[in-house]
Amino acid sequence: MNPVGVVTQVNGREIARSVPARMTLVEFLRDELGLTGTKVSCELQVCGVCTVLVDRKPVSSCAFLAVDIDGREVTTIEGVASDGKLHPIQQAFIDHFALQCGFCTPGFVMMAVALLEEVPQPTPEQVVSYLEGNICRCTGYRSILEAVLDAADRLERASP
Amino acid sequence: MSVLPSFEHLRPADLHEALDAISFDDPVYAGGTELLLAMRSGLLRPSSLIDIKRIPELDRIGQEDDDVVIGGTVSHAAATADPVVLSAAPVLPKVLAHVGNPRVRAFGTLGGNLCFAEPKSDVATILISLSADVELASKNGRRRLPVEDFIIGPYTTARNEGEILVSILIPPTADPMVYEKFQTMERPTVGVAARLLEDGSLRVVVGAVGGAPEPFDFSSVHEVNSGHIADRVEVIPDLTGSERYKRHVTRVVLGRTLAQLEGLA
Ligand SMILES: Cc1cc2nc3c(=O)[nH]c(=O)nc-3n(C[C@H](O)[C@H](O)[C@H](O)COP(=O)(O)OP(=O)(O)OC[C@H]3O[C@@H](n4cnc5c(N)ncnc54)[C@H](O)[C@@H]3O)c2cc1C
Repeated sequence: MNPVGVVTQVNGREIARSVPARMTLVEFLRDELGLTGTKVSCELQVCGVCTVLVDRKPVSSCAFLAVDIDGREVTTIEGVASDGKLHPIQQAFIDHFALQCGFCTPGFVMMAVALLEEVPQPTPEQVVSYLEGNICRCTGYRSILEAVLDAADRLERASP
Repeated sequence: MSVLPSFEHLRPADLHEALDAISFDDPVYAGGTELLLAMRSGLLRPSSLIDIKRIPELDRIGQEDDDVVIGGTVSHAAATADPVVLSAAPVLPKVLAHVGNPRVRAFGTLGGNLCFAEPKSDVATILISLSADVELASKNGRRRLPVEDFIIGPYTTARNEGEILVSILIPPTADPMVYEKFQTMERPTVGVAARLLEDGSLRVVVGAVGGAPEPFDFSSVHEVNSGHIADRVEVIPDLTGSERYKRHVTRVVLGRTLAQLEGLA
């Protein structure tokens, strides 16, 4: 099968590769680029652990073709912090103990990034409804909700 | 991690090129939210995939004659946020905002939902209630048919090999309309759309419990009997419930839908 050329930006870095058409985005990120922060679990788009952003929109990278990021921008959990400083969402997850084993955390953080870009000051109901498609097996949902709401406040205070 | 079977990837520049490439073994795809799962589970093994989501004419929302036209590759999220859709069919964004999860809504399309014809759909039910049509294009031309006739049964549509769904056409309406669903997992167990037409008649469409959405027409609100619909509608028992359970849930959701409609009318 013919490989397909992909020119993309991942976390702000220009990348050009040739990939097999059947390669998924998560395989590309983990195996080609070594970005292992993105995890994989259900492979059915129902658990949310593999969430990354493509052109700032959330996607399940386990069910998205790598060839489809050609000409687009990808943001993974590795690209959320900047200048060696955690993103306010990441810091809020730590402060609220919003993670236990940590496996679902990259997905929850990426979903929170997408939500707060779309709705900067969500209600608790909006957060719950947006994160409905993400599963935490340690069931720390309450602290995750608190972390996202607090992060929204922190981001608002930080913006000029 | 399981691996997808191998295939060639094509990215036609326009609809014409896409229509030259499409066949049973070479299907088109947009979000891939259904197709890639079906391939991973071994149900489909296409020799190539044709990406149509970069074809500009398929990815637009507009108005044509009196209808709102939603292009074949418009995502749930894009349709939800569109002012034209909101003013012509206010019930539709409300339904689309609760399809799957935000990832499915960002990349999954209304066209893909209809063409896959998974019975547990909200999209087909609400579009039938809106009296929407689909337009299909092939190398031999175009044809238009009601969504009601397009969806034939589970994973079965009236689409012929070589046809691409190019748009969904919705006649604008100010009729009072309500959509209610019940779900415990990712997809609806039952979805009910009710619409009070201008002449006082009522149309109820029940989806997700059977193989395809089923419409029930009544000459007035007083004629409707939830129990009667719940007894008659086709129900397929599966992992989301037995026949008895699904009939019960259908009756309950019908009751909620009609109560809400009365509040609107
Ligand atoms: C986790 C999950 C939850 C979901 N929950 C819901 C829900 O609550 N309610 C609901 O209604 N739906 C739900 N869905 C279904 C969802 O709406 C569809 O997966 C999505 O809309 C399909 O669009 P797509 O562009 O990704 O289709 P694709 O996967 O790209 O294509 C699907 C099929 O249609 C064909 N096709 C696609 N576009 C065209 C076209 N223009 N012309 C001809 N053929 C075409 C493809 O060949 C393929 O066979 C859910 C899906 C998932 C994965």
